[in-house]
Amino acid sequence: MKRKSLFLLLLLIFTVTATGALVSAQGTKVFTVFLSEALPDYPGSTIVGDIIERETGVKLQREYLVGDLETKVGLMIASGELPDLLTAAHFTSLFKDAGMLIPLNDLVEKHAPNIKRLYAKHWEQLKQEDGNVYWLPIQAIPYANDSPRYPELGFFINKKVLKEAGWPVIKTLDQYFELIENYMKKHPTINGEKTIGYLTLFDSWRNFATTNVPQHLMGYPNEGEFVPVLENGRYVVRQYHTSNTAKAYYKKLNEMYNKGVVDKETFVMNYDQYIEKLSSGRVLGTFNQYWQIQEAQEILLRDDPESIFVPFPVVLDEIVEEFQRDAPYIQATQGMAITTACKDPVGAIKFLDYLIREETQFLIQWGIKGVHYEVDENGHFYRTDEQNKMFLDPEWRRDVFGGPYFYNSFPNLRGIDENGNSFMPDRQPSMIYAASQPTEKEVMDAYGIKSFCELYNPPREKKYYPLWTITIPAGSPAHIEQTRMKDVLNAYVPRLVMSKPNNFEKVWADYVKAISPLMKEQIKVYQEQIDWRMENW
Amino acid sequence: MKTPVTPRLVEHIPIPERPFWKTLRQQKVLLLMSVPFVIHVIIFKYVPIWGWTLAFQNYWPGKSFFDQVWVGFDNFKWLFRDPIFYQVLRNTLAMSLIQLVFGMVSSIVLALIINEVRLVFFKKAAQTISYLPHFISWVVAANLVRDALSTDGGIVNELLMKLHIIKEPIMFLGIPKLFWWIIGASHVWKEVGWGAIIYLAAIASVDPNLYEAAIIDGAGRLRRIWHITLPSIRPIIVIILIMNMGYLLSSGFEQQYLLQNGRVIDYARVFTIYELDYGIKMMRYSFATAVGIFRSVVSLVLVFGANYIAKRMGQERLL
Repeated sequence: MKRKSLFLLLLLIFTVTATGALVSAQGTKVFTVFLSEALPDYPGSTIVGDIIERETGVKLQREYLVGDLETKVGLMIASGELPDLLTAAHFTSLFKDAGMLIPLNDLVEKHAPNIKRLYAKHWEQLKQEDGNVYWLPIQAIPYANDSPRYPELGFFINKKVLKEAGWPVIKTLDQYFELIENYMKKHPTINGEKTIGYLTLFDSWRNFATTNVPQHLMGYPNEGEFVPVLENGRYVVRQYHTSNTAKAYYKKLNEMYNKGVVDKETFVMNYDQYIEKLSSGRVLGTFNQYWQIQEAQEILLRDDPESIFVPFPVVLDEIVEEFQRDAPYIQATQGMAITTACKDPVGAIKFLDYLIREETQFLIQWGIKGVHYEVDENGHFYRTDEQNKMFLDPEWRRDVFGGPYFYNSFPNLRGIDENGNSFMPDRQPSMIYAASQPTEKEVMDAYGIKSFCELYNPPREKKYYPLWTITIPAGSPAHIEQTRMKDVLNAYVPRLVMSKPNNFEKVWADYVKAISPLMKEQIKVYQEQIDWRMENW
Repeated sequence: MKTPVTPRLVEHIPIPERPFWKTLRQQKVLLLMSVPFVIHVIIFKYVPIWGWTLAFQNYWPGKSFFDQVWVGFDNFKWLFRDPIFYQVLRNTLAMSLIQLVFGMVSSIVLALIINEVRLVFFKKAAQTISYLPHFISWVVAANLVRDALSTDGGIVNELLMKLHIIKEPIMFLGIPKLFWWIIGASHVWKEVGWGAIIYLAAIASVDPNLYEAAIIDGAGRLRRIWHITLPSIRPIIVIILIMNMGYLLSSGFEQQYLLQNGRVIDYARVFTIYELDYGIKMMRYSFATAVGIFRSVVSLVLVFGANYIAKRMGQERLL
């Protein structure tokens, strides 16, 4: 059965690629492209898509991800049946290792002036060991960086809690849980259902929402499984999973679990249940990266605006200075690549060059001037309330406007351009506050800020940042060690939190014993790469 | 009046031996009809065995067969030295056996019960309802199970609390030792009706004369089930049992994968998940293949073993 479906899949891929790269009768070029995000099939005609098709004469035959990316990538590599263009998130380098991507250096030099200009700042980072560039990262920041409405990560707390407590500024883990506990005592139920004090997400690969926290409590931004620490002028890779901060964090969760503040189910629920609980408005707090709770926040903004989540940069001890925000970085280790199956690499790079130039980027992200956005006397873009409303409807935005079909998986620009306009409407400096909803404005006014990011310190620039974009070679000893370490975290973290308080020390000792021998190889690989980045970037 | 020829005598009439070619000619239509299926089996079952060569390489995709690095039995050595392997073996066998035993017993019992129901409407409805869950994908079914077992308003906990059997909701999915039984129970729920179909079909072909004779002899309903229905469907039971032996080591992927969580991982990891996590996901195709070969070989041994035992016990058998 499994073999059969495998074969069918291969057949499918084969037919898709076999029909690709043809030039149709009208002179339009067709490129096949695999995109590692899950979107419904392209509707055929959208406002943005039609303009792009008309101006370039390129028609894309898209294949979006269905199911598991790892499996899909494995299949593509094993079968050797490739589309013309592809994105494969953090598996992109595997295609390079298999010799399936073509180097872009000469193509860009000769045919793609815009790519050359806009990626210039990042170009050195993109070079692989052989000096070639094989993919264009999905985002380039050619000019200044911008700032989103919500920070990348934080300890989120329900607005109701803050309002009742008189808008306190939360700094430490103890303060955070104290607020939640007090509110819970006064309001044991919300909307007739039991109040949930704190949720921590632990569903399969998303469990970093629980295990990453110790580094943030030490004040670091999201580095991944290890943190490079500046020691005598050199970044030395250190582990934090058995640190005192980690111990204090799990001990706090353990205490809160046994008090009934942490949801009993938190370690067995999956992501769907997590979002469902968050959007019910009865969860008081959760730690996460914002993109993981965005869906719930959007539901709350619409249905229960008084229960939205507000992020705080929480640390373990007040003396810790936090730098939890991301310094601007691009994901140099992944992006859009042209494969060896592409018959017309020049055409493909010209198409990408057209997509990345500023005019196209403003079209994809903002729309048509006068229809989807306006320009004020200073040359700054803005949207009227009516235009904003239009873009609040995600289905219209996707199926009629069509911008998202050229966004997440295609190279695009981020940041502020030379005229002070943000490429992303959501991040237009003048619009972050103006386009916020009344409930968000209430919180911002209470804290005297114009964006939730202002609750945080500005990020600290580090040349190598971040560690997690380093890929560990597939199947290497470090890779096996990493899988084993994740297994240990998977097995022990629930035990740490759910054990009886008097048993915590024993479980902690077992955990330290189990995880400590599983870091050496990984640290070695990360250290080498960090050193390399510090030298070459 | 002639004495009737008993069927027993017919069996003893020797079949005259015919030359091979004559048989072949006589049955050529039958043979032609089976050719597509033979080709199908060769392409999909025998040709892929060539892929077993992967297990003895350090396979890297994109390289040609002759450029691969050959490593002998290294992948197997790694497998047998991995401490997780024995845990995986234990989990797979335990969950398969639970599913096999409870799945078969419940299906047989359901078939017997449905067969005894007189009311046609009720019979049809019961059968349809019981096999409907089979058509739900595990992705959906796992979420149903999760919701039912939830401590936050899940129906099982609510019911037990209303009945005052428990005071506090129990986090069923968080108790490692319980995981095998949750897998078993949800398997029974999902597959019981589907499994019963084949037994119902077998029961339908039992000669009604036997029941009539038994009724005349004064056998009650339970006696008829015990002495007529069950012995009549015994060959089917044995054959299905032998066939299922072959799946003991490949049991389940979606079910365990979707119901597991970190808390119970030590009891939830089965071979398929192990192959995925430590093989395919890490691009260790060779290792995944080695695990696959191990499973195939053990399955083969189990099938032949079960078949041999069935033969020795004078039962129906597969081969």
